[in-house]
Amino acid sequence: MLDNLNQDVSILQPSLQMTDSQVQNRIRQMKMEDPEEQTCYQKFCNLFTIEYYREYFDVTTELVISKVVNSFNPFSGTFFDIGGGIPELYGPFWILNTLIFTVALSVNISKYMQLQPGEHFEYQFQIVPFLAIFMYLKTLIVPMIYRVALKCVSQDRLTLLHCFTIYGYSAVVMIPVSLLNSIPNPAIQWMLLVYVLFAQTSFLTSNFNQELKYMPKEKKYMIVGLVAVVQITIMILYKFYFFSSINYQQLGLVKRKSHNHILSHILGAN
Amino acid sequence: MDYTNQRPPQNYSQMDDQKTQDLEESVSETIMRDLKMIAYKLKYVLIPKEQEDNGKELRNWDLWGPLIFCLVLAMTLSFKAESTTTSTKSDVFAIIFVLIWVGAFIVTLNAQLLGGKVSFFQSVCLLGYCVFPINIEAIIIAFFGSYLPFLVKLIPVFLCFAWSAYSSVGFMASLVPPHKKKLAVYPVFLFYLFLSWFSLIV
Repeated sequence: MLDNLNQDVSILQPSLQMTDSQVQNRIRQMKMEDPEEQTCYQKFCNLFTIEYYREYFDVTTELVISKVVNSFNPFSGTFFDIGGGIPELYGPFWILNTLIFTVALSVNISKYMQLQPGEHFEYQFQIVPFLAIFMYLKTLIVPMIYRVALKCVSQDRLTLLHCFTIYGYSAVVMIPVSLLNSIPNPAIQWMLLVYVLFAQTSFLTSNFNQELKYMPKEKKYMIVGLVAVVQITIMILYKFYFFSSINYQQLGLVKRKSHNHILSHILGAN
Repeated sequence: MDYTNQRPPQNYSQMDDQKTQDLEESVSETIMRDLKMIAYKLKYVLIPKEQEDNGKELRNWDLWGPLIFCLVLAMTLSFKAESTTTSTKSDVFAIIFVLIWVGAFIVTLNAQLLGGKVSFFQSVCLLGYCVFPINIEAIIIAFFGSYLPFLVKLIPVFLCFAWSAYSSVGFMASLVPPHKKKLAVYPVFLFYLFLSWFSLIV
């Protein structure tokens, strides 16, 4: 069993080294494979202890901040070099929650800014559960798609958790952009959408490119292309559901109460 | 029984000869004792100068205080909320209630996952007690909000949010190793920010 461990370590690149807690976890896993040590039931129950997940929260403040700063940089493929390329779940989870809060805030702000004089502001909370479900599903499913694609080209260095980590951090760009998205000018909204699409996709592709450097070209481009296509689809869904429909709802309200030339101006611009 | 400001009220589990007395006392006495315990803990948590023994009082956690503050906040906000086309008063109540408990659960879980060794309910109790300033701010805005311009409303909101965050940050930061302090504190900050924003908007 220890021979296998040595073999695993030797094919890992320096950028994907394991921390102490990961090594301990691996040794514990191998001990658990010994049938005298733990029954199948006990192994399953480990999933419900906190200690099992502590390994993925083994981060420091500086590490998280440097990863966040790196994710704003779309061209350097150095994300997996920071902190030894260890996958973690703290960053993706809290970035996701911050993003949900920010988008809910900016949807309400955009509604507030589109108020006609004499209209009363109606806050919208109905959107928050839907937004939360959309974001969580997106963050769960898309890295699985990446992992399946990587498995197809038999690339095993990037595990599922690495995909979760990098996808979670790629969402950081959306936080300031969502705040700016509350400005009700359609031209600005489209420009911000294009910027976010570009930044996220190029961040993901340049990092995957860095890891896939040694593979033949067709496989590499296939992965990279898949990443780009999935991103574009999600971005378009996001824009057309959350920010367009708010415009239409507001227009709907405006139509019932009073006819304005602003209505035709916005419709014309869209 | 003698309640001074310095000594905390006695808990039920302490003395056996108290138990027969508990059954014989009037209901108002029982309730007053619980209320005094909550008030004592509240002063302890929110006014840092009262903490002479570095947080040891928090080991006697209770969930009555958090429940009361959560209910008062939810009722204030749902009372003030007008029924709109997309949400009703009961929606607002449900959202606040779920948000406080699930939020406290997630923040505590996060602190434990980062390596903090604290009892789960102790942390939930503290986070619940620190919701009290948000309560004050919600009541101020509920009664006076329609007379004040938006910018003036922001002042009590911001002050109460800062007070909540400051009281709970000291405790949360002491739970985790030093290089992870900001990581444990950020979710607390986000939690109270969301609650304050909610009470401002509604």
